[in-house]
Amino acid sequence: MDFSFGVILHNLPYLIAAAKWTLLISLVGMAISIGLGVFICAARMSRARWLAAAAALYISFFRGVPLLVQLLIFFYMLPHIGLDLPAIAAAILSVGMCSAAYTAEILRGAFQTIPAGQTEAAKALGIAPASYWRRILVPQALRLGMPSLINELILLVKVSSLASVVGIGELTRVAQNITGQTYRPLEIYIAAAAIYFVINLIISQLGRLAERRMQLAGGARLGV
Amino acid sequence: MEYELFLRYGPALLHGFGVTLLAWVVGSFGGLVLGFVIAVVYRWSGRGLRTLLQAYIELIRGTPFMIQLFILYYGGPGIGLVLSPVQAGILSFVVYGSPYFAEIFRSGFNAIPPGQIEAARCVGLTETTIMRRIILPQMLVLITAPLTNFVIILSKETAILSVVTVPELLYETQTMAAETFTYVEPFLVLSLCYWLLVIVTARLGQMVETRAMRHLKRA
Amino acid sequence: MPDQAPIITVRGMSKFFGEFQALADITLDVRRSEVLCLIGPSGSGKSTLLRCLNFLEPYDSGEVRMEGRLIGWQEGVVPRRPLPASTLREQRRQIGMVFQQFNLWPHFTALQNVAEALLQVRNLPRDQAMARAEAALEKVNLSDKAGNYPSGLSGGQQQRVAIARAIAMEPSLMLFDEPTSALDPELVGEVLSVMKAMAAEGMTMVVVTHEMGFAAHVADRVAFLDQGRLVACLPPAEIFGRDPSDPRIHSFLQTYRERNVV
Repeated sequence: MDFSFGVILHNLPYLIAAAKWTLLISLVGMAISIGLGVFICAARMSRARWLAAAAALYISFFRGVPLLVQLLIFFYMLPHIGLDLPAIAAAILSVGMCSAAYTAEILRGAFQTIPAGQTEAAKALGIAPASYWRRILVPQALRLGMPSLINELILLVKVSSLASVVGIGELTRVAQNITGQTYRPLEIYIAAAAIYFVINLIISQLGRLAERRMQLAGGARLGV
Repeated sequence: MEYELFLRYGPALLHGFGVTLLAWVVGSFGGLVLGFVIAVVYRWSGRGLRTLLQAYIELIRGTPFMIQLFILYYGGPGIGLVLSPVQAGILSFVVYGSPYFAEIFRSGFNAIPPGQIEAARCVGLTETTIMRRIILPQMLVLITAPLTNFVIILSKETAILSVVTVPELLYETQTMAAETFTYVEPFLVLSLCYWLLVIVTARLGQMVETRAMRHLKRA
Repeated sequence: MPDQAPIITVRGMSKFFGEFQALADITLDVRRSEVLCLIGPSGSGKSTLLRCLNFLEPYDSGEVRMEGRLIGWQEGVVPRRPLPASTLREQRRQIGMVFQQFNLWPHFTALQNVAEALLQVRNLPRDQAMARAEAALEKVNLSDKAGNYPSGLSGGQQQRVAIARAIAMEPSLMLFDEPTSALDPELVGEVLSVMKAMAAEGMTMVVVTHEMGFAAHVADRVAFLDQGRLVACLPPAEIFGRDPSDPRIHSFLQTYRERNVV
C-alpha cells in the first residue's frame, strides 16, 4: 500500500476552500429549518384539525422520502414552475425544507416536556397566547431541544454532501474532482472525511458550551 | 401519465426495488450484528479498548455516509479491497450502521437495573446466561423503537447507493427518466414508493414492539 | 444453641473506595446456625462488610474465609489475584443473598424467578426444578402466588419471593442487606416472620438491619459498626442493655429507645 500524504497536503487548500460551501449549506439550511420548523410545529399542535393534518402530512412526507430524491425533484421541478434559482439556493432550500420536518418534531417533543402548569399560570394571569408563546414557551423549547437541534445541524453538515450530486462545488464534489485528476481516491476521500469530522467536532463542542451556558441561565434539560 | 412507460420499465424498476431491499436488509442485519458485538465488547473492555471503540463510533458518526461509501468503493483498491458496487454498498451499510446500533444496544444494557444483574450473579448465573435470560429479553422491548427508527433511516440511505452505480430503485428510475425524457411522473412515483416503505416499516416496528411488550410483561 | 465451629472467619479485613476507607481491620467470626445482626449508623460500613463476604465488593486486605476457603482471591498468590469467574461463582452458590430492593427479574413469574438458578446453574431437569421452586415458595407462604409477576405482588411478597429464590439453592449461609428497609411498615412483619422461621430451623444468617426489635429478639449476636470499625460483637442483651460498653452504641440506640423499640 502506498499512501501519499503529499497528495493530501497539496490538495488540502482546495478541500478546505470547498468546505465553505458545506458550511453555507448547513448553516443557512439550519436557519431555514428552525424558522420553518417552528411554524410547522405550531400547525401540528394547533387545534384546527385541517392545519394539524396538513402539518402531519408535511412531516410524514419529508421524513419518508430520501433527501437525495427530494433534492433531485426540487432541482428538476423548479424550472418547470418558473422559479429560476441559482443551484446553491435550490439546494439550501431543499435541505432546509426537509430538515424542518425533523426540527418540527424536535420542537414538538420539547414543548410537550414543558409542564402544562406554566401555560395555565400564564392564562390565569391573563397573558395573551401570542405573548406567552413568544416569551415563555418558545425560548424554553429551544433550550430543551438544544441537544437534538445541535445533532440536526451535524446531520445537515453530513447531508450537504448530497449537494455534490446536483453539481454544487462543496467538499464532496471537489473531492471527486480532485480524485479525477490525481487518481488517489483513498487519500483524498479520507482527507475529506477528516475535514467533515473536524467541522462536526467543533460544532458539537460549541453545542456543549452553549448547553452549559443555558443551564447556568436556568432551565431543565430534555432527557438527561 | 404514461402507463405504458411504467409497463415497459416495470421489470427494471422491480429489479431495482429488489436491489434496494437486498442492500437494506443485508446491510441492516450486518450492522446490527457488528453493533451488538461492539456493544458487548465495550461492556467487557478496559479503558484502552473502550477509547478505541469510542473513537471508531465518533469517526463513523461524524462523517457523511457518501464519503464512507466512496472510501470503500473507490479507495478500497488502494488497500487491496476490490468490491462490486453492491458489495461496497452493503459493506458501507454495515460499517455506517454499526456505531448507531452499538449505541442503541449499549443504552439497552444500561437500562436494566444493575441490582437484577447482581442478584443473578449472587445466585450463580454465568455472564452469558445473564445476558441471554435476564438482559436481552427485557432489553428487546426497550430498543425496538430506536432500532426501527434507524433501520428506516438506512432504508432511505439506499438511494445514495445510486451514486456508485448500484442498480437500486433510484438508479433505475433515473435511467427511465433519462431515456424517456419524463421526470416528474417517475420521481413522484419513486417518492411514493419510499414513503410507503417507510410507513410500512414503522408500522411493523410498532407491531413488534406491542407483541414484545405483551410477551414479556415488564414490571 | 448455635454450633461453635465458625462457618465464616474474617481477619483484619479492610476495604477502600479510592481514598476513602470504608472498612478498617475487621475481625469476626460467623458461627454455624447463628443469627448475626450488623447494626450501626448510616455510612458505618455494614452493607459494605456484608457485600465483602460474598465478594460482591472485593476487599482490599485481610482475609475472608468460608469453611476454610479464601473468598474471592487466589490462595497463596502475592500480589493478590482474583479467583477465576467460575470458581467465584461456585463459592457464591453456597451463599444466598437477599437485597434491599428485592431485585426480582420482572419478566419472570415468581415461580420462574425461584427456578431460574436451579435450571441454569444446577442444570436440573425442568420438573425437578419446578418442584423444588414450589417447595421454596411454600416455605415463604407464597404457593398461591407462584404464577404472579413481580408487578402483581406487594413489596413484602416480592421480598419473600427473593428469599425463596435464595433458599432454593440450599445455601450454607444467608446474607440479608436491609431486607425490610424498602417496605411499607405493615409489610415488614411478614418478611421478618419468614426470617425468624429460617433462624429457628438453624440457618446461618448475617443480617444488616435497622429493625432493632428483630436484632434484640432473634439475633444470637449483634455486631455494632461505626465509621468502618467493628466496635463490639456481643449477645443482644449486652448491646441493648442499660449500660453498653461504648458511648457510640449508647447514642446510636438512643433514638430507638425514645421510640420505645428497645
